[in-house]
Amino acid sequence: MTLFEASEIVKVFPGVRALDGVTLTLEAGSVHALLGENGAGKSTLIKVITGLYRPDGGRLLMDGREMSFGSPHESAAAGIGVVHQERNLIPGFTVGENILLQKLPTSRGLVDRAAIRSEAARWLAELELDIDPDQPVTELSVAQAQLVEIAKALSVESRVLLLDEPTASITPNEAALLFRVVEKLKDDGRAILFVSHKLEEVFQICDTVTVLRDGASVLSGGALADLTRDEVVDLMVGRVHEALSLPERAVDTAVPPILELRGVGTASGHADVDLSVRPGEIVGLYGLVGAGRSELAKALLGLDRITAGEVRVRGEAVKIRTVRDALRNHKIGYVTENRKEEGVFLEQPITRNIAVTIWDRLRKVLGYVPAKVETAMVTSYVEQLGIRIASPSQLAGTLSGGNQQKISLAKWLAAQTEILIIDEPTVGIDVRTKDAFHTLIWDLAANGLAILLITSDLPEMITLADRVVVMRDHRIRGELPNNHDYDQMSQQVIRLIHAEGTTAA
Amino acid sequence: MSAPVSSTATEALREDTPVEKPPRGTPWWANQRVGLLLLVVLLSALFGVLRPAFFNQQLVVFPLLRDIAMFTVVGLAQLCVLSIGHMNLAVGRMAAFSMMITGISYDLWHFTLYSGLLVGLVAGTAIGALAGWVIARTGVNSFVVTLALDFLLLGMIPLVYTSLTENAAFVTKPPGMRELRNFSLADVCIGNVCGSPAVPQLAIFAVIAMAVVGWIYARTRLGRELLMTGSSVRAAELSGIPTARRVIIAHAMSGCLAALAGFMLAVSTGSIKATIGEEFMLPSFLGPILGGTLLAGGFVSIWGTLLGTALTTVIRKGLDLLGVGLESLNIYLGLILLAALSTDRIRTLLSDRQAVASSSPPPPPKAAGSQEGER
Amino acid sequence: MKRFVRSTEMTLLVIGLVFFVGLVIASGGDLLAANSIRVLLQFLAVPVLIGLAQMVVLAVGQLNLAVGAIGGFAAAAMGVLMADHGVPVPLALLIGFLLAGAAGLLNGVLVVLTRINGFIVTLATMTILLGVQYRLVGTRTVDAYPQGLKTFGSAALFGVVPWIFVVALIVAALLALLLKRTVPGRQLLASGGNPIAARLSGISNDRSVIVAHALSGAILGVAAILTVASSPGVNKSIGGDWLLPSFAAPIIGGALLTGGSAVVLGTVLAAFIVRFVDTARAEFSLEPSWVNFVVGAVVLGSVVLGQVRARRQERRAVVKAPDAAVAGGVS
Repeated sequence: MTLFEASEIVKVFPGVRALDGVTLTLEAGSVHALLGENGAGKSTLIKVITGLYRPDGGRLLMDGREMSFGSPHESAAAGIGVVHQERNLIPGFTVGENILLQKLPTSRGLVDRAAIRSEAARWLAELELDIDPDQPVTELSVAQAQLVEIAKALSVESRVLLLDEPTASITPNEAALLFRVVEKLKDDGRAILFVSHKLEEVFQICDTVTVLRDGASVLSGGALADLTRDEVVDLMVGRVHEALSLPERAVDTAVPPILELRGVGTASGHADVDLSVRPGEIVGLYGLVGAGRSELAKALLGLDRITAGEVRVRGEAVKIRTVRDALRNHKIGYVTENRKEEGVFLEQPITRNIAVTIWDRLRKVLGYVPAKVETAMVTSYVEQLGIRIASPSQLAGTLSGGNQQKISLAKWLAAQTEILIIDEPTVGIDVRTKDAFHTLIWDLAANGLAILLITSDLPEMITLADRVVVMRDHRIRGELPNNHDYDQMSQQVIRLIHAEGTTAA
Repeated sequence: MSAPVSSTATEALREDTPVEKPPRGTPWWANQRVGLLLLVVLLSALFGVLRPAFFNQQLVVFPLLRDIAMFTVVGLAQLCVLSIGHMNLAVGRMAAFSMMITGISYDLWHFTLYSGLLVGLVAGTAIGALAGWVIARTGVNSFVVTLALDFLLLGMIPLVYTSLTENAAFVTKPPGMRELRNFSLADVCIGNVCGSPAVPQLAIFAVIAMAVVGWIYARTRLGRELLMTGSSVRAAELSGIPTARRVIIAHAMSGCLAALAGFMLAVSTGSIKATIGEEFMLPSFLGPILGGTLLAGGFVSIWGTLLGTALTTVIRKGLDLLGVGLESLNIYLGLILLAALSTDRIRTLLSDRQAVASSSPPPPPKAAGSQEGER
Repeated sequence: MKRFVRSTEMTLLVIGLVFFVGLVIASGGDLLAANSIRVLLQFLAVPVLIGLAQMVVLAVGQLNLAVGAIGGFAAAAMGVLMADHGVPVPLALLIGFLLAGAAGLLNGVLVVLTRINGFIVTLATMTILLGVQYRLVGTRTVDAYPQGLKTFGSAALFGVVPWIFVVALIVAALLALLLKRTVPGRQLLASGGNPIAARLSGISNDRSVIVAHALSGAILGVAAILTVASSPGVNKSIGGDWLLPSFAAPIIGGALLTGGSAVVLGTVLAAFIVRFVDTARAEFSLEPSWVNFVVGAVVLGSVVLGQVRARRQERRAVVKAPDAAVAGGVS
């Protein structure tokens, strides 16, 4: 039975058709996947369905009746519950108040706390969650917070539930709990839309799928049982995706490591971390979100305290105190995973974004920086990395994600680093640019850079790394030489991740 | 220059998509500084027509320029912290504190005019650096820290004055102070050619301050790093900028300029007392903000600060000549600030609408914005 | 209950009590005399209200630089209406109160309409209202208003608790009730705590901002009434020294500048502590300037301590659950 239908939805922004005739049908008692690359229009579609955007064309039908939503309130009233990608709880409020925020129960004009408690408890019980409605949400774990948000989405008596990347920041074990809840909601006859980047999850819990590409639905409501993983990827990408072929590259194992960690422990909880990288080598540091990989990188740069063990650079034990110290004295650079907040200065021109690491080197008397040298340097890297720009004074925020990532990387190349820590370089970047980045990283190593590649993208790791180091719960769980065979490697890595039973929460 | 990127990688990275067009540059009529300049000129002409006395060199233009010079320095003091997205609510009290030290140096240690100024500048720099240090060390919002510092100084300064002076003012005037107050460029002659009697010599301090601050922000590593810190502290830290030190330096610069402004005020009023700088807070924000400096950090305009200050000072003076009571002037100044910023908003909206070529969907409307919480 | 024991309010309560006992001992018990207590509370009414007026805008992540100007302007308007135009007392007070509320409302509307930073908007309205206040009273001190009002201003319940202090407490209680137990109050705090989430839950953040500023104005209206009632006259300097204390009370009371915290009790307690500082100053006959000095130090100390505590908690949380690092919205 069709509960909800979005038919031929069109949404136009100045200069771009974000949605161009998208159709999506949700059946009762079924989980429907919404797939598509970044920028394909998934979030725009969700915003249209939830009443944050008004569509410029097409119809929204609930139980076959045409609806028009002017605000999230109206879509909620119609029975559409949403769990958004961002955390949407109010700190300082209790679990119960957060669940019922959309319509706080009142008696005689005042908020009725007893009613909140009992009603919230009812929704939590529905999800079989053991959470006290009176607890402040600040005391919840991330997974608990996620589940509370589902309770919140249900509390509007919703029969249609949209889950936007619900597993993005939780561990596999916590995800399993979430999936049990989803199964239960499905059995109760609700229609669920599941948006995720993780194809494994989609194949695990979804029944049907809609794939978006460039604002259009290239597949609307196909049964997942009839599709293979590769077919889905090809639909998302829009062409048959060929495996990347990279030239030969050999690592000279006789060369001593340029960066070496011996028994390192940090204030954020790492212990006994041993790790080494040689010049010309790509070492992959693999782990799930929250395993402590970026934290390790930041501790190496002096942003967190190293409490045990030693860090050796070029054979000498060193104490790195700041990023500047790492760059200036040890030639270590770090390309952050958090591009928009830590990688680029969105409101500054491209020139400054790249030159930021070299002013220290270019400066003359009284700190004067000769503009000509600066521009020449920047232009050279803009060309080498194929960054498409209108002018070097263009603001970085006006560029695409891929080009921003190139800028984030370019500043470290300009700084002539010899050790480069690259953190999740291709998150949120389309498949084609992703291949280009892989070629670049490969190429940098071939030119002698030592690269520590942090990623939770298994194919990326297996394509690029010479050695794979697996981290879980802030500890190294094992190290494997990479033979670039996807099936074999992925099994070994997954086995390491899940070794010794379950992860501690 | 080593080039670690090989041509194969460059080839792979090249894109066949068209160049992403940035939103078109703002048209000239939307340029804030041009608008300000026109306004200043038009208003001056208007006041001149209504009250020809407005162009009286000694009685009007001379003190007008002296005020513009002083408030420009006050504006620059605020601009330095605005550049990193901070605020200095104690800008006036820092001036008072520095002048207290200067006063002590004249009164007790019999310093000369300029060595006293130097001591004051050092004191201002130190108190500013202290504010910066507390902010950098604790991570507490600059608004709160400078507000608390303002309290502290507000309490401390009168205590010192009452214990050291008879009438709550330092009376010793070093030689040269009176001359500095009254002399104009007419007193500077090269051969037979003398300068205009309308331009006070005191303005030279503002010119120097503008040149130095302008040089720092436009040409040096320090200035750029300050702006980057203002744009995004986290990105700056991760790009190897010592952000804590930059925060301290920005506040120290602010303190130093506040001290200079305090000195200019002390010279032009002829007395060093505890109330110096009490009127600085509003103009310190008016000049830079009207001139286009961003409250959120990352962009500053030195000329804009001068023009913004000039505009408010001309209006103040003009209305004064028209017989509007001195304190009710505030009504007009406040209205002008609101009007200027609202029209700025309208202008931005208009030029955005013209540049719809921008390819990205509009950002979601900003929610209940807090002063520094938007980034 | 356990949560309350660890809260800022509890700390302030303990500090306040210790301070008070210390003062009582230092004064040789004189402070416990009915008259001393009455004086202590008499000068506490207005500071409590201006602290609350700031607190309520801080709760939505805004600030109000115009607290003193709104209060001073409203007080001047009341005084002039009564003294110069012979308007009956209740009507004049009502008009003044409404003017203050309207000024606050105007702040809110301007912030929402122009999208200009609230700091600048209230700086501008502050300047304007200061001018208006001066226009109204000039250099005069307006005091020719009915004696009845002044009698109310100095009257005290049982000769100990001044009526104006009772009024301030009632306002505080109403505000607490509003913020904690009514739907608009909860929505206001939700907007301050997480604007995006609030919007997705169908709450209008714009409305919350306007409501907060209007409430701030209304509270200042009450503060103006109490000022007119309890001071010898109305002049241009009323409200001139309100700005700094208005921030001191909520900040010491534990309010977050980023919004989302409703600390009515904390603000009231902090106002008490500031008042004790002043009493101590008088007790030891020190310069009035000492009060500012000490309050400045206390504000700085309390925010620094708060920050240190928050950071330590964060660190502990990270060690326990590594995932907490990505939970930006909740922490």
